[in-house]
Amino acid sequence: MADRPAVPTVADSLREYGRGLAGGLIFSLPLLYTMEVWWAGFIAQPLRLFSYLLIIFLLLLGYNRYAGMRRDASWLEVAIDSVEELGLGVIASAATLFAIGRIGAHTTREEALGQILIEAGVVAIGFSVGTAQLGAGGEEDEGMGEPDEPVHFPGQLAITFCGAVLFAANVAPTEEILMIAVETGPGRLLLLALLSIAVSALILYFSDFARASRYSPIETKWQAFAGTMITYAVALAASGVILWFFGRFDGQAADVIVAEIVVLGFPAALGGSAGRLLLQP
Amino acid sequence: MKKPAKNGLEWTVFVASTIVVLAVLGYLAVKALTEKKTPPDLRVEAGAAIARDGSHRVPLLVRNVGGSTARSVVVEAVLRRGEEEVERAELELMFVPRRSEREGWVTFRHDPRCCTLVTRAVSYEEP
Repeated sequence: MADRPAVPTVADSLREYGRGLAGGLIFSLPLLYTMEVWWAGFIAQPLRLFSYLLIIFLLLLGYNRYAGMRRDASWLEVAIDSVEELGLGVIASAATLFAIGRIGAHTTREEALGQILIEAGVVAIGFSVGTAQLGAGGEEDEGMGEPDEPVHFPGQLAITFCGAVLFAANVAPTEEILMIAVETGPGRLLLLALLSIAVSALILYFSDFARASRYSPIETKWQAFAGTMITYAVALAASGVILWFFGRFDGQAADVIVAEIVVLGFPAALGGSAGRLLLQP
Repeated sequence: MKKPAKNGLEWTVFVASTIVVLAVLGYLAVKALTEKKTPPDLRVEAGAAIARDGSHRVPLLVRNVGGSTARSVVVEAVLRRGEEEVERAELELMFVPRRSEREGWVTFRHDPRCCTLVTRAVSYEEP
Protein backbone atom coordinates (compact mmCIF):
# COMPACT_ATOMS: atom_id res chain seq x y z
CA MET A 1 0.00 0.00 0.00
CA ALA A 2 2.92 2.30 -0.56
CA ASP A 3 0.95 4.37 -3.04
CA ARG A 4 -2.04 5.00 -0.88
CA PRO A 5 -2.52 6.97 2.27
CA ALA A 6 -2.96 4.91 5.43
CA VAL A 7 -6.75 4.90 5.05
CA PRO A 8 -8.05 6.03 1.65
CA THR A 9 -10.90 8.53 1.49
CA VAL A 10 -14.33 7.37 0.37
CA ALA A 11 -13.91 9.38 -2.84
CA ASP A 12 -10.64 7.55 -3.58
CA SER A 13 -12.21 4.14 -3.12
CA LEU A 14 -15.23 5.10 -5.20
CA ARG A 15 -12.90 6.10 -8.02
CA GLU A 16 -11.07 2.80 -7.68
CA TYR A 17 -14.31 0.80 -7.85
CA GLY A 18 -15.34 2.92 -10.81
CA ARG A 19 -12.15 2.04 -12.69
CA GLY A 20 -12.65 -1.61 -11.79
CA LEU A 21 -16.23 -1.58 -13.04
CA ALA A 22 -15.19 0.08 -16.30
CA GLY A 23 -12.42 -2.49 -16.81
CA GLY A 24 -14.69 -5.36 -15.88
CA LEU A 25 -17.27 -4.35 -18.46
CA ILE A 26 -14.73 -3.54 -21.19
CA PHE A 27 -13.08 -6.95 -20.94
CA SER A 28 -16.21 -9.02 -20.43
CA LEU A 29 -18.77 -7.39 -22.70
CA PRO A 30 -17.91 -9.58 -25.71
CA LEU A 31 -18.69 -12.59 -23.51
CA LEU A 32 -21.78 -11.04 -21.94
CA TYR A 33 -23.13 -10.71 -25.50
CA THR A 34 -22.28 -14.26 -26.60
CA MET A 35 -25.05 -16.85 -26.52
CA GLU A 36 -22.70 -19.83 -26.26
CA VAL A 37 -21.61 -18.43 -22.89
CA TRP A 38 -25.20 -18.22 -21.65
CA TRP A 39 -25.68 -21.82 -22.76
CA ALA A 40 -22.52 -22.91 -21.00
CA GLY A 41 -23.99 -21.26 -17.90
CA PHE A 42 -27.11 -23.37 -17.74
CA ILE A 43 -25.52 -26.54 -19.11
CA ALA A 44 -22.71 -26.62 -16.53
CA GLN A 45 -23.33 -28.88 -13.53
CA PRO A 46 -22.92 -27.40 -10.01
CA LEU A 47 -19.56 -29.11 -9.48
CA ARG A 48 -18.13 -27.61 -12.65
CA LEU A 49 -19.36 -24.13 -11.72
CA PHE A 50 -17.83 -24.57 -8.28
CA SER A 51 -14.41 -25.48 -9.70
CA TYR A 52 -14.70 -22.67 -12.23
CA LEU A 53 -15.11 -20.14 -9.42
CA LEU A 54 -12.14 -21.62 -7.56
CA ILE A 55 -9.94 -21.36 -10.66
CA ILE A 56 -11.07 -17.76 -11.20
CA PHE A 57 -10.27 -17.01 -7.58
CA LEU A 58 -6.76 -18.45 -7.95
CA LEU A 59 -6.25 -16.36 -11.10
CA LEU A 60 -7.38 -13.25 -9.22
CA LEU A 61 -5.01 -14.04 -6.35
CA GLY A 62 -2.11 -14.51 -8.77
CA TYR A 63 -2.88 -11.44 -10.78
CA ASN A 64 -3.51 -9.18 -7.78
CA ARG A 65 -0.38 -10.41 -6.08
CA TYR A 66 2.01 -9.99 -8.98
CA ALA A 67 0.48 -7.32 -11.17
CA GLY A 68 -1.96 -5.48 -8.94
CA MET A 69 -1.51 -1.89 -7.92
CA ARG A 70 -0.09 -2.74 -4.54
CA ARG A 71 2.84 -5.01 -5.03
CA ASP A 72 3.91 -4.80 -1.43
CA ALA A 73 0.48 -5.86 -0.26
CA SER A 74 0.25 -8.84 2.07
CA TRP A 75 -1.52 -12.04 0.99
CA LEU A 76 -4.37 -11.08 3.31
CA GLU A 77 -4.94 -7.83 1.45
CA VAL A 78 -4.64 -9.62 -1.88
CA ALA A 79 -7.25 -12.16 -0.76
CA ILE A 80 -9.58 -9.38 0.41
CA ASP A 81 -9.25 -7.61 -2.95
CA SER A 82 -9.93 -10.85 -4.81
CA VAL A 83 -13.09 -11.58 -2.82
CA GLU A 84 -14.30 -8.04 -3.47
CA GLU A 85 -13.67 -8.38 -7.20
CA LEU A 86 -15.50 -11.69 -7.36
CA GLY A 87 -18.46 -10.35 -5.37
CA LEU A 88 -18.71 -7.17 -7.44
CA GLY A 89 -18.31 -9.29 -10.57
CA VAL A 90 -21.37 -11.34 -9.58
CA ILE A 91 -23.40 -8.19 -9.02
CA ALA A 92 -22.26 -6.46 -12.23
CA SER A 93 -22.86 -9.59 -14.28
CA ALA A 94 -26.35 -10.09 -12.80
CA ALA A 95 -27.24 -6.47 -13.54
CA THR A 96 -26.03 -6.68 -17.15
CA LEU A 97 -27.74 -10.02 -17.83
CA PHE A 98 -30.96 -8.60 -16.41
CA ALA A 99 -30.66 -5.50 -18.59
CA ILE A 100 -30.22 -7.61 -21.74
CA GLY A 101 -33.17 -9.83 -20.81
CA ARG A 102 -31.23 -13.05 -20.17
CA ILE A 103 -32.45 -13.43 -16.61
CA GLY A 104 -35.64 -12.28 -15.00
CA ALA A 105 -39.03 -13.57 -13.99
CA HIS A 106 -39.02 -16.13 -16.83
CA THR A 107 -35.84 -17.91 -15.70
CA THR A 108 -35.57 -20.30 -12.79
CA ARG A 109 -33.01 -19.82 -10.05
CA GLU A 110 -30.59 -22.42 -11.33
CA GLU A 111 -30.71 -21.22 -14.91
CA ALA A 112 -30.08 -17.62 -13.86
CA LEU A 113 -27.36 -18.53 -11.38
CA GLY A 114 -25.37 -20.53 -13.92
CA GLN A 115 -25.38 -17.68 -16.41
CA ILE A 116 -24.52 -15.07 -13.78
CA LEU A 117 -21.59 -17.06 -12.41
CA ILE A 118 -19.99 -17.83 -15.76
CA GLU A 119 -20.09 -14.20 -16.76
CA ALA A 120 -19.09 -13.06 -13.26
CA GLY A 121 -15.74 -14.85 -13.54
CA VAL A 122 -14.77 -12.85 -16.59
CA VAL A 123 -16.12 -9.60 -15.16
CA ALA A 124 -14.07 -10.20 -11.99
CA ILE A 125 -10.82 -10.64 -13.92
CA GLY A 126 -11.62 -7.54 -15.95
CA PHE A 127 -12.34 -5.76 -12.67
CA SER A 128 -8.93 -6.67 -11.35
CA VAL A 129 -7.13 -5.66 -14.55
CA GLY A 130 -9.14 -2.44 -14.74
CA THR A 131 -8.30 -1.45 -11.18
CA ALA A 132 -4.60 -2.06 -11.76
CA GLN A 133 -4.18 -0.82 -15.31
CA LEU A 134 -6.61 2.04 -15.76
CA GLY A 135 -5.32 3.91 -12.74
CA ALA A 136 -3.74 7.34 -12.66
CA GLY A 137 -0.32 7.12 -14.27
CA GLY A 138 1.50 8.98 -11.52
CA GLU A 139 0.99 6.23 -8.98
CA GLU A 140 2.87 3.70 -11.04
CA ASP A 141 6.03 5.70 -11.57
CA GLU A 142 7.61 4.33 -8.47
CA GLY A 143 8.02 0.85 -9.90
CA MET A 144 9.86 1.91 -13.02
CA GLY A 145 13.00 3.17 -11.38
CA GLU A 146 14.01 -0.31 -10.29
CA PRO A 147 14.71 -2.42 -13.35
CA ASP A 148 16.87 -4.71 -11.28
CA GLU A 149 13.81 -5.91 -9.38
CA PRO A 150 11.60 -7.56 -12.01
CA VAL A 151 8.56 -9.60 -11.00
CA HIS A 152 9.93 -13.02 -10.19
CA PHE A 153 9.30 -16.18 -12.15
CA PRO A 154 6.01 -17.48 -10.65
CA GLY A 155 4.70 -13.94 -10.96
CA GLN A 156 5.52 -13.88 -14.66
CA LEU A 157 3.76 -17.22 -15.09
CA ALA A 158 0.65 -15.92 -13.32
CA ILE A 159 0.55 -12.78 -15.46
CA THR A 160 1.07 -14.76 -18.66
CA PHE A 161 -1.72 -17.15 -17.69
CA CYS A 162 -4.10 -14.25 -16.95
CA GLY A 163 -3.33 -12.61 -20.28
CA ALA A 164 -3.91 -15.88 -22.12
CA VAL A 165 -7.24 -16.51 -20.37
CA LEU A 166 -8.45 -12.95 -20.81
CA PHE A 167 -7.81 -12.97 -24.55
CA ALA A 168 -8.60 -16.58 -25.46
CA ALA A 169 -11.84 -16.72 -23.43
CA ASN A 170 -13.43 -14.44 -26.00
CA VAL A 171 -13.25 -17.04 -28.76
CA ALA A 172 -13.22 -20.26 -26.70
CA PRO A 173 -17.01 -20.73 -26.39
CA THR A 174 -17.68 -20.30 -30.13
CA GLU A 175 -18.36 -23.17 -32.51
CA GLU A 176 -15.50 -22.03 -34.71
CA ILE A 177 -12.86 -23.57 -32.45
CA LEU A 178 -14.35 -27.04 -32.85
CA MET A 179 -14.90 -26.47 -36.57
CA ILE A 180 -11.27 -25.50 -37.18
CA ALA A 181 -10.03 -28.34 -34.97
CA VAL A 182 -12.07 -30.97 -36.79
CA GLU A 183 -11.45 -29.74 -40.32
CA THR A 184 -7.74 -28.96 -40.10
CA GLY A 185 -5.17 -31.63 -40.87
CA PRO A 186 -2.17 -32.42 -38.67
CA GLY A 187 0.27 -30.62 -40.99
CA ARG A 188 -1.62 -27.35 -40.77
CA LEU A 189 -2.02 -27.73 -37.00
CA LEU A 190 1.73 -28.08 -36.69
CA LEU A 191 2.07 -24.93 -38.78
CA LEU A 192 -0.40 -23.19 -36.44
CA ALA A 193 1.63 -24.26 -33.40
CA LEU A 194 4.87 -22.98 -34.97
CA LEU A 195 3.12 -19.76 -35.91
CA SER A 196 1.95 -19.33 -32.30
CA ILE A 197 5.50 -19.83 -31.05
CA ALA A 198 6.90 -17.42 -33.63
CA VAL A 199 4.39 -14.71 -32.76
CA SER A 200 5.12 -15.13 -29.03
CA ALA A 201 8.84 -14.71 -29.72
CA LEU A 202 8.11 -11.71 -31.91
CA ILE A 203 6.06 -10.01 -29.21
CA LEU A 204 8.34 -10.90 -26.33
CA TYR A 205 11.78 -10.38 -27.79
CA PHE A 206 11.97 -8.98 -31.30
CA SER A 207 9.65 -6.03 -31.69
CA ASP A 208 10.10 -4.09 -28.47
CA PHE A 209 6.32 -4.39 -28.13
CA ALA A 210 5.20 -2.04 -25.35
CA ARG A 211 8.90 -1.56 -24.53
CA ALA A 212 9.33 -5.27 -24.01
CA SER A 213 13.00 -5.02 -23.11
CA ARG A 214 11.95 -3.67 -19.73
CA TYR A 215 10.27 -6.92 -18.70
CA SER A 216 11.89 -9.57 -20.83
CA PRO A 217 15.55 -8.58 -20.93
CA ILE A 218 17.26 -10.72 -23.52
CA GLU A 219 20.75 -11.74 -22.66
CA THR A 220 21.33 -14.95 -24.54
CA LYS A 221 19.58 -16.70 -27.40
CA TRP A 222 18.98 -19.58 -25.04
CA GLN A 223 17.01 -17.32 -22.66
CA ALA A 224 14.83 -16.04 -25.48
CA PHE A 225 14.17 -19.61 -26.59
CA ALA A 226 13.32 -20.79 -23.07
CA GLY A 227 11.12 -17.74 -22.43
CA THR A 228 9.16 -18.32 -25.63
CA MET A 229 8.67 -22.02 -24.92
CA ILE A 230 7.48 -21.35 -21.38
CA THR A 231 5.02 -18.74 -22.64
CA TYR A 232 3.65 -21.17 -25.22
CA ALA A 233 3.37 -23.94 -22.63
CA VAL A 234 1.42 -21.64 -20.31
CA ALA A 235 -0.78 -20.62 -23.27
CA LEU A 236 -1.57 -24.28 -24.04
CA ALA A 237 -2.41 -24.92 -20.39
CA ALA A 238 -4.73 -21.90 -20.33
CA SER A 239 -6.31 -23.06 -23.57
CA GLY A 240 -6.96 -26.52 -22.09
CA VAL A 241 -8.53 -25.15 -18.91
CA ILE A 242 -10.89 -22.83 -20.80
CA LEU A 243 -11.93 -25.52 -23.28
CA TRP A 244 -12.56 -28.01 -20.50
CA PHE A 245 -14.74 -25.52 -18.78
CA PHE A 246 -16.87 -24.79 -21.81
CA GLY A 247 -17.42 -28.55 -22.17
CA ARG A 248 -15.42 -28.71 -25.40
CA PHE A 249 -13.77 -31.98 -24.40
CA ASP A 250 -16.96 -33.86 -23.57
CA GLY A 251 -17.18 -36.93 -25.75
CA GLN A 252 -14.33 -35.92 -28.08
CA ALA A 253 -11.56 -38.20 -29.29
CA ALA A 254 -8.05 -37.52 -27.99
CA ASP A 255 -6.78 -36.14 -31.30
CA VAL A 256 -9.71 -33.69 -31.56
CA ILE A 257 -8.95 -32.52 -28.01
CA VAL A 258 -5.30 -31.92 -28.89
CA ALA A 259 -6.35 -30.12 -32.07
CA GLU A 260 -8.72 -27.88 -30.12
CA ILE A 261 -6.00 -27.00 -27.62
CA VAL A 262 -3.62 -26.06 -30.45
CA VAL A 263 -6.30 -24.04 -32.25
CA LEU A 264 -7.15 -22.05 -29.12
CA GLY A 265 -3.45 -22.00 -28.25
CA PHE A 266 -2.85 -19.38 -30.92
CA PRO A 267 -5.03 -16.65 -29.37
CA ALA A 268 -3.86 -17.82 -25.93
CA ALA A 269 -0.20 -17.40 -26.95
CA LEU A 270 -0.96 -13.94 -28.34
CA GLY A 271 -2.80 -12.95 -25.16
CA GLY A 272 -0.19 -14.55 -22.91
CA SER A 273 2.83 -12.88 -24.43
CA ALA A 274 1.15 -9.51 -24.91
CA GLY A 275 -0.37 -9.80 -21.43
CA ARG A 276 3.03 -10.41 -19.93
CA LEU A 277 4.09 -7.03 -21.26
CA LEU A 278 0.85 -5.05 -20.95
CA LEU A 279 -0.46 -6.33 -17.61
CA GLN A 280 2.73 -5.55 -15.77
CA PRO A 281 2.54 -3.41 -12.66
CA MET B 1 0.60 -9.52 9.38
CA LYS B 2 -0.26 -5.88 8.92
CA LYS B 3 -3.87 -4.88 9.22
CA PRO B 4 -5.35 -3.71 5.90
CA ALA B 5 -6.15 0.00 5.91
CA LYS B 6 -9.70 0.44 4.70
CA ASN B 7 -12.47 2.94 5.13
CA GLY B 8 -16.10 2.17 5.94
CA LEU B 9 -17.14 1.90 2.29
CA GLU B 10 -14.40 -0.61 1.52
CA TRP B 11 -15.29 -2.71 4.52
CA THR B 12 -18.94 -2.67 3.49
CA VAL B 13 -18.07 -3.78 -0.03
CA PHE B 14 -15.81 -6.49 1.35
CA VAL B 15 -18.42 -7.85 3.75
CA ALA B 16 -21.12 -7.78 1.06
CA SER B 17 -18.80 -9.52 -1.41
CA THR B 18 -17.86 -12.17 1.12
CA ILE B 19 -21.52 -12.89 1.75
CA VAL B 20 -22.26 -13.14 -1.98
CA VAL B 21 -19.26 -15.36 -2.72
CA LEU B 22 -19.78 -17.68 0.25
CA ALA B 23 -23.51 -17.97 -0.43
CA VAL B 24 -22.86 -18.91 -4.05
CA LEU B 25 -20.09 -21.40 -3.23
CA GLY B 26 -22.16 -22.91 -0.44
CA TYR B 27 -25.21 -23.28 -2.68
CA LEU B 28 -23.15 -24.92 -5.43
CA ALA B 29 -21.38 -27.22 -2.98
CA VAL B 30 -24.68 -28.40 -1.51
CA LYS B 31 -26.10 -28.94 -5.01
CA ALA B 32 -22.97 -30.78 -6.16
CA LEU B 33 -23.01 -33.07 -3.13
CA THR B 34 -26.71 -33.79 -2.84
CA GLU B 35 -27.89 -33.97 -6.43
CA LYS B 36 -27.04 -36.76 -8.78
CA LYS B 37 -26.56 -35.89 -12.43
CA THR B 38 -29.75 -37.22 -13.97
CA PRO B 39 -30.65 -37.10 -17.67
CA PRO B 40 -33.14 -34.54 -18.98
CA ASP B 41 -36.75 -35.41 -18.13
CA LEU B 42 -39.31 -33.44 -20.10
CA ARG B 43 -42.97 -32.99 -19.20
CA VAL B 44 -45.33 -31.23 -21.56
CA GLU B 45 -48.52 -29.52 -20.47
CA ALA B 46 -51.06 -28.03 -22.84
CA GLY B 47 -53.05 -24.95 -21.91
CA ALA B 48 -56.47 -23.78 -23.10
CA ALA B 49 -56.88 -23.22 -26.83
CA ILE B 50 -57.55 -19.78 -28.26
CA ALA B 51 -59.58 -19.70 -31.48
CA ARG B 52 -59.20 -16.96 -34.08
CA ASP B 53 -59.55 -16.73 -37.86
CA GLY B 54 -60.15 -20.44 -38.25
CA SER B 55 -57.04 -21.51 -36.40
CA HIS B 56 -56.72 -22.73 -32.85
CA ARG B 57 -53.63 -21.84 -30.86
CA VAL B 58 -52.62 -24.02 -27.96
CA PRO B 59 -49.88 -22.98 -25.50
CA LEU B 60 -47.47 -25.75 -24.54
CA LEU B 61 -45.42 -25.54 -21.38
CA VAL B 62 -42.34 -27.77 -21.57
CA ARG B 63 -40.82 -28.44 -18.17
CA ASN B 64 -37.49 -30.18 -17.63
CA VAL B 65 -37.55 -31.87 -14.23
CA GLY B 66 -34.28 -33.73 -14.88
CA GLY B 67 -30.80 -32.75 -13.73
CA SER B 68 -29.33 -32.03 -17.17
CA THR B 69 -30.13 -29.52 -19.87
CA ALA B 70 -31.94 -30.73 -22.99
CA ARG B 71 -31.00 -29.28 -26.36
CA SER B 72 -32.81 -29.31 -29.74
CA VAL B 73 -36.06 -30.42 -28.15
CA VAL B 74 -38.82 -31.61 -30.49
CA VAL B 75 -42.32 -31.75 -29.01
CA GLU B 76 -45.27 -33.20 -30.87
CA ALA B 77 -48.91 -32.49 -30.21
CA VAL B 78 -51.50 -34.82 -31.76
CA LEU B 79 -55.28 -34.46 -31.87
CA ARG B 80 -56.81 -37.93 -31.57
CA ARG B 81 -60.38 -39.07 -31.90
CA GLY B 82 -60.30 -42.64 -30.65
CA GLU B 83 -57.67 -44.41 -32.73
CA GLU B 84 -57.84 -41.89 -35.52
CA GLU B 85 -55.23 -39.16 -35.77
CA VAL B 86 -57.01 -35.93 -36.75
CA GLU B 87 -54.13 -33.48 -36.86
CA ARG B 88 -50.50 -33.24 -35.80
CA ALA B 89 -48.36 -30.22 -34.88
CA GLU B 90 -44.76 -29.89 -33.84
CA LEU B 91 -42.78 -27.49 -31.64
CA GLU B 92 -39.00 -27.14 -31.63
CA LEU B 93 -37.15 -25.59 -28.71
CA MET B 94 -33.43 -24.83 -28.77
CA PHE B 95 -32.86 -25.43 -25.06
CA VAL B 96 -34.77 -26.44 -21.98
CA PRO B 97 -32.28 -26.00 -19.10
CA ARG B 98 -32.39 -28.39 -16.15
CA ARG B 99 -35.22 -27.73 -13.70
CA SER B 100 -36.49 -24.93 -15.95
CA GLU B 101 -39.35 -24.40 -18.34
CA ARG B 102 -39.97 -22.95 -21.77
CA GLU B 103 -43.23 -22.00 -23.40
CA GLY B 104 -44.24 -22.29 -27.05
CA TRP B 105 -47.38 -22.48 -29.17
CA VAL B 106 -48.78 -24.94 -31.68
CA THR B 107 -51.71 -24.22 -33.97
CA PHE B 108 -54.40 -26.56 -35.31
CA ARG B 109 -56.98 -26.16 -38.05
CA HIS B 110 -59.40 -28.34 -36.10
CA ASP B 111 -60.92 -27.27 -32.85
CA PRO B 112 -59.00 -29.22 -30.16
CA ARG B 113 -62.28 -29.70 -28.28
CA CYS B 114 -63.26 -32.27 -30.91
CA CYS B 115 -60.65 -34.71 -29.68
CA THR B 116 -58.09 -35.50 -27.06
CA LEU B 117 -54.79 -33.66 -27.29
CA VAL B 118 -51.77 -35.94 -26.77
CA THR B 119 -48.42 -34.23 -26.24
CA ARG B 120 -44.97 -35.65 -25.77
CA ALA B 121 -41.30 -34.72 -26.16
CA VAL B 122 -40.17 -36.77 -29.15
CA SER B 123 -36.43 -36.19 -29.06
CA TYR B 124 -33.71 -34.07 -27.51
CA GLU B 125 -29.94 -33.93 -27.26
CA GLU B 126 -27.93 -33.93 -24.08
CA PRO B 127 -25.22 -31.33 -24.74
